[in-house]
Amino acid sequence: MLRGNGAPSRTRSRAGSVEEIKARRRQQEWALRKARREKQLVSKRLLRELQEDAEEMEIREPSVTQEEVSQLYQRIQRGSEGRLAALRSLCQLLHLKEVQKMFVGLENSMHVLIGLFTSNLASVQLEAALCLLHLSHADDPSISLMCLPATPYLLTYLSGQSVKFTEQCLVILGNVAAENEAVRNQLLLQGVVQALENCLQSPHGAVVEAAAYSLFQLLQAKEAGEKIVPAVLQTSLTPRLIHLLDPESEVGMPAAVEAAWCLHYIMSSGVSSDKVLISQGLVHQAGILLIALGRAIDSGTVADGVELLIYPVVRCLGNLMASREAPLHRSQLDTHGVLQALSSITSKFLHSQPSLSRECLWLLNNLTAGDERFCSAFLSLGLVAALFELIPFSDGINTLVLMLLGNIAEMGSEHCEKLQQQKEIFSALCTVLRTSEVEAVRLTLEVLNLILSHCEQACEEFVNQSGIPALEAIQYHSNKEIRVRANFLMDRYFTDKAM
Amino acid sequence: MAADGDIRRHLYLRNVTFNVGEVEKPKVSEFCCHVTGCSQLFDTLENYEHHYNTFHRNVCSSCKRSFPSSHLLDIHILEWHDSLFQILAAKQNMYQCLIESCTEKFKSSCDRKKHLMKVHGYPSDFRFDKPKKLKRKQKTQERSPHDMEVEATVCQNKTNDIFCPMTVESMDQESGETMEDEGAPRPEYSTATVLPRSSISRRVPATICFGHGSIRGFKNPRRKK
Repeated sequence: MLRGNGAPSRTRSRAGSVEEIKARRRQQEWALRKARREKQLVSKRLLRELQEDAEEMEIREPSVTQEEVSQLYQRIQRGSEGRLAALRSLCQLLHLKEVQKMFVGLENSMHVLIGLFTSNLASVQLEAALCLLHLSHADDPSISLMCLPATPYLLTYLSGQSVKFTEQCLVILGNVAAENEAVRNQLLLQGVVQALENCLQSPHGAVVEAAAYSLFQLLQAKEAGEKIVPAVLQTSLTPRLIHLLDPESEVGMPAAVEAAWCLHYIMSSGVSSDKVLISQGLVHQAGILLIALGRAIDSGTVADGVELLIYPVVRCLGNLMASREAPLHRSQLDTHGVLQALSSITSKFLHSQPSLSRECLWLLNNLTAGDERFCSAFLSLGLVAALFELIPFSDGINTLVLMLLGNIAEMGSEHCEKLQQQKEIFSALCTVLRTSEVEAVRLTLEVLNLILSHCEQACEEFVNQSGIPALEAIQYHSNKEIRVRANFLMDRYFTDKAM
Repeated sequence: MAADGDIRRHLYLRNVTFNVGEVEKPKVSEFCCHVTGCSQLFDTLENYEHHYNTFHRNVCSSCKRSFPSSHLLDIHILEWHDSLFQILAAKQNMYQCLIESCTEKFKSSCDRKKHLMKVHGYPSDFRFDKPKKLKRKQKTQERSPHDMEVEATVCQNKTNDIFCPMTVESMDQESGETMEDEGAPRPEYSTATVLPRSSISRRVPATICFGHGSIRGFKNPRRKK
């Protein structure tokens, strides 16, 4: 079911509907990619159990009239015995776009609803909270914006002791903040950063996860770098987020996922944030987490959805390693552990999620660039062979593999010596020469040049692995630069072999 | 290149359907909150837990008012039940902003309210910032006994508050004032509804009003401080 997109409702999965689910997923992905292209990509969440609830309801309630909504509202306002029942009925309908519009259009309705949200009667308060949750989740930002007057109460209740209620308030806050700058501004004025910091200290995993989610929605805003990240950095939020990455943490993976995305957005928001995060131990913690994830993948005990944690962690590290102070930070990592983990992840996800493999290769590149320690370790761990399996794949994978090989080759004779000893390395490289990807071919020639220039035996190996025909073929390549380079290599190293 | 990772993240946010908990909460036969004086009824344990945690946790031991957080309770105790507070407040800004991360203080709750509205965008009818000066209790249609601002217990003693000996001390402060105003000793006073008294009551008779805001009705036991 595509919420709010007008798609027909569907029942829960039954046997034979796998195709339906796949089709739905494809459609959703298409819509998301489009939204991302248009920079309109915002997503919100409901509490888990409500998703299932809503699916049921969509089947039973095909259409609701304005009259019905008005009547429910009247019964709610009247405040007698029927109030709670009416509120419940309204709540069950509020995931429907038309009902949302109808309800917020009624005079004073939000004021009444927010009043009920602050009621002393538990059942009324909880039901009103669910109504707000549905409204906050609306696709139309003008609807979720209607929840703005509730923010002082939502924030006040965050300091309360009802765990589930706190979680709901946090999700509502995150949802309404997602698309509305006005809401974010008001939340900042009302002390949201401090409130979230307190919630992140909660011993309850669900509260921590919801708080980190809420923070994430603030951080993904376009004005975050200017208005929100500085406020966040002034508190002790970031050390807590870093701590949540601890694989031993009892708070659990969902909270770690949210925390990792928060850290990624903080990192990519501005210059000073990465220095702060580094000083607070992000590199070290991210490294440990990556190693733990790698081990779990190797032993087959990894949880579903782990890639959602890997993406932001890899990006954080990748960005850190791209900075000028990178050499300093690399020393905080367990070289062997990290390389092994990245290699495992890359292999494991190559077929199911190639983009994840690609991002890991990107990180590997940033780790090995100009770093003798990492290059040596890569070789000694025997990880090069696995790279050859990746070489045939396009969409950026082969180019990253080639750059990685180039990083190692650049280190000098010793490394090139070891490289050319790798079984069938030149066969693998030549397969790229035979493709039509210009950039990949160019990179291959560069790598070849590096290896051949540093190591004499490499020439012989190259010939043994039938490299000459492949090289000769591209001497007539349509691309000039490639022709020049190919000719250069032939002339330099294989004059006696030329036909 | 970053597209796919972002798309997956958004798919996750929209589709969190794994790990679904119990959708329908089992109903139990209706029971009443066990806290003295609280008469709310419940038919699910979840609702009761919420009620208890929200309503019976941060309770003022003096006036039994309930607050949504310990922070608001602390402010309440300071401003309503700490006699030293009033003295200090006359000389310096003592009314703190309700928002924990804001360190501003004000000389009156009125100034604080203006601050909350102007700087923090709070509404003028923010529920947890009712002024200390009491208005006539309004009868609401639902007749909820649990208005957050009013004491949770509606028991006999409270209605006879004015005559309870335990609050004699504060009454003394008032009586001092009375002396100055009235210049006459107060008579012993008893009403038909009151428990028999042996000592001289230092209470001000209910029918005497000491100016702006004090309550005349018998049912409003709040006294002016």
